[in-house]
Amino acid sequence: MGKYDKFFASAKEAGIKEIELYIGEAHEVEVELFHGEIANYSDNNGMTVVARGIFSNGKCGAASCDTWNKEKAKYLIDEIVKNAKVIENEDPVFIFKGSDKYHKINTYNKALDEVPMETKIAKMKELEKAIKAEDKRVSEVGATFFSQSNSKHTLVNSNGLNLVQKSNYYYYGAEVIASDNGQTKSGFEIFFENDFSKFDVKALAKKCAESATSQLGGISCAPIKCKAVLDHDAVISLLNVYIGHADAEQVQKKSSLFAGKIGEQIASKKLTIEDKPLSKNPFARWFDDEGVATYNKPIIEKGVLKTFLYNLTTAAKDGVTTTANAQGAGSKKSTGPFFLTVKPGKKSLHELFAEVGDGVYITGVTGLHSGMNPQSGDFSLQASGFEIKNGKKGKPFDLITASGNLLEVFKDVQEVGNDVKVSPNGTAAPSLIIKKIGVSGQ
Amino acid sequence: MISKKLAIEVLNVSLSTGADYAEIFYEDSHTNNVSLENGKVETSSSNSLNGVGLRLLKENQCIYGYTNDLTKKGLLALANSLNKSFNGKQIVFVDHLDKVKAKERSKIKTDYDTVPLEEKIALLKDADNEILKLNDPRIVRRICSLNCWHRGVAVFNSKSKWFKRDNQWATYGVAVIATDGKGFEQGFARRGCQDDLTFFRQGDADIVKNANKAAKTALAMLSAPECPAGKMPVVIGNGWGGVLFHESCGPPLEASAVAKGLSFYKPEQVGTQIASKIVSAVDDSTIPYGWGSIDIDDEGNPGEKRVLIKNGILKEFMVDDFNGRRMNAKGNGACRRQNYRYIPTSRMSNTYICAGKSTREEIIKATKLGLYAVAFGGGQVDPSTGEFNFGCSEAYIIRDGKVCEMVKGATLIGKGFEILKNIDMVANDLDLAEGFCGAASGRVYTSVGQPTIRVKECTVGGRGGELK
Repeated sequence: MGKYDKFFASAKEAGIKEIELYIGEAHEVEVELFHGEIANYSDNNGMTVVARGIFSNGKCGAASCDTWNKEKAKYLIDEIVKNAKVIENEDPVFIFKGSDKYHKINTYNKALDEVPMETKIAKMKELEKAIKAEDKRVSEVGATFFSQSNSKHTLVNSNGLNLVQKSNYYYYGAEVIASDNGQTKSGFEIFFENDFSKFDVKALAKKCAESATSQLGGISCAPIKCKAVLDHDAVISLLNVYIGHADAEQVQKKSSLFAGKIGEQIASKKLTIEDKPLSKNPFARWFDDEGVATYNKPIIEKGVLKTFLYNLTTAAKDGVTTTANAQGAGSKKSTGPFFLTVKPGKKSLHELFAEVGDGVYITGVTGLHSGMNPQSGDFSLQASGFEIKNGKKGKPFDLITASGNLLEVFKDVQEVGNDVKVSPNGTAAPSLIIKKIGVSGQ
Repeated sequence: MISKKLAIEVLNVSLSTGADYAEIFYEDSHTNNVSLENGKVETSSSNSLNGVGLRLLKENQCIYGYTNDLTKKGLLALANSLNKSFNGKQIVFVDHLDKVKAKERSKIKTDYDTVPLEEKIALLKDADNEILKLNDPRIVRRICSLNCWHRGVAVFNSKSKWFKRDNQWATYGVAVIATDGKGFEQGFARRGCQDDLTFFRQGDADIVKNANKAAKTALAMLSAPECPAGKMPVVIGNGWGGVLFHESCGPPLEASAVAKGLSFYKPEQVGTQIASKIVSAVDDSTIPYGWGSIDIDDEGNPGEKRVLIKNGILKEFMVDDFNGRRMNAKGNGACRRQNYRYIPTSRMSNTYICAGKSTREEIIKATKLGLYAVAFGGGQVDPSTGEFNFGCSEAYIIRDGKVCEMVKGATLIGKGFEILKNIDMVANDLDLAEGFCGAASGRVYTSVGQPTIRVKECTVGGRGGELK
């Protein structure tokens, strides 16, 4: 008898025909160093239990908690029933029986657990020192971070599905403040992996220091529209909002800019964007959050929109097969890519500058939740960046905004770089040349 | 709940290796979220949160851990795991716990759990019907949601203090998405309270009235031109406009940034002019039923009305006891966290710029050419540099002292300390608005607020070229 069979039987007695449990268990250690001393150390064991079930009225109710015991099991069942009774949405709902075949990928690195905590903390101290040594203008290392997470998530249901994936990762990072001539700038960089041997203190220290010092001595920028190199960080920020429009639910609800455009050229021919859940990295997912086997797929290939991202419900509504992109827990699953990648080109960042000649180099955009209209794709965002003069990176700008429209930006890709960066949110992208972007500053 | 006897035992085990302070944070919360899409109930879900966070301090060091195992064995195991960070002898002993007494300013009147789900749905359906009544084919999506949260907290600490806190919050959101076939625009309304749900049927918080407004904003935005970019005078509307102060000056006034020298405001600046003389600002946890109010903070200090700036002079910071150690200051009731999974720190509560003497009309009339920013979608700030940005969800151009065309896509960027000095008019129409603030200790309930104010010059980002 399975661990949850008794729970499934109680649910059935309460009128729940099919039921699913998503159980997330995580052990996280977070350390923050300040002036060579540990300022914060946290060691946490957390659990998330999300249950959803199809009640006798055919509707799906959901409830969640953070402990697994008799009392909570009863809470989950009672709340599912209460919630399912009021649902009016008529979309088909599914508790999945399982795919025929799964391409299992190992996302758990045992060696990471074997590295002693003392070694991990010693590296933080080295990192803090190395950042200070990197540049005299580094006035403060605000905080140096180390974090490791070991997690296990289980998807089990009354239809016989029982899938478990374990994973772990760590990251190092630091907040840096640089000052010069009365001007202060801050920067932040992190390194994310699950292989400890890949961590290079010096390389990260250099990036951390530069993230702040490179912005010093900024010049103002009159409003212009010009050619730009969008640094991989800026591309990653914009790309996630852009690909949000591939969510089949948004399409079905008539609020996607990609609606009706399958097979159409919606972006530059230079651009291929893929979802690669079966990549060999900590982001790999071999089943989605409904339990369907995942696979790698292009979303946009040479600028042509190839597919929307589906879960079982939205796929059934469109009469297609799910793309195994269900994400999240609860009565309704959303969809999204697991490892979103932009296929790199051949040119280095310096070659991109040379190709632009005169223009701007945008190194980051912030304020997406306020300056981006996700519905229209229009954005006007606080940005950091540099001028590009005579084919080379020039002086930094002091406080600028970058503005444009997402659809236009990705149509306007002139060249794709080879400098891929992987962000901790599961996106990998190189820098891009954009034919026209609006920049304005003080 | 955990008994006082067990709490004393856990505290002593936590302190046994030399920590100078220990604190147990017990939480038992539950939420219910219900949402309607185009008039039909789309989702209804419930969540229960029940755990303990344990914090040990020794000088400037903080050790934290949480667990869902609330048995004696589970709690002692957590204490024994965390106390390994120190290897000294016990210096603080706990033999009793006294209950902290505080005013109950937001006492629960009607428990949201006793309100039938059908009644909550009816509230949302009334809002949806109001949008439907406009009968405009350009409106493609109507999303109305209600989130009710009941939070029970008990804290036991090695200062021999213990207390219980019981609060509930409710918030609704109405989003209206409209299209003209070429693009989409969204209108949005949100209000929140600690009061009964009938609050959402009254006055400015009336969900029906605000749903109508959100729909009309979405439709108006479809034909609105893009906002011009550049430096210009900006009149910022009351209520939501307070997000300017919240984003640009709030985080740098929190001890979490000040204590480590990571804020552009330093403790030695207390008593000096940091803002225009007509600017006074407070952070007030004591407003009865206020969205961001708390009677006792997570360290057992009573909620206070903190005067941050008076007539342009920096008066005090928002301080928690732990960060206060680096500043030689005591906590002033500002210590909060999202839930037991977060380490608490100093946070804003109800933060606003105080009323001035001008009227809104006088400010508009005195502005020849500029932007009138009425509502905002949120923003962010870097406390070390003061650089902030926030996006306007409703904005107009002011020409010759009159509010003219609506514009879309306006972003305000700048440096907080410069903006404060640049405020040259403050009106008498103070209002507060409910929002959320995300930072190190998670997402907490905060009100923003201000009267209508004018900033002499601010950088505006937009796609509409130069302002003419």
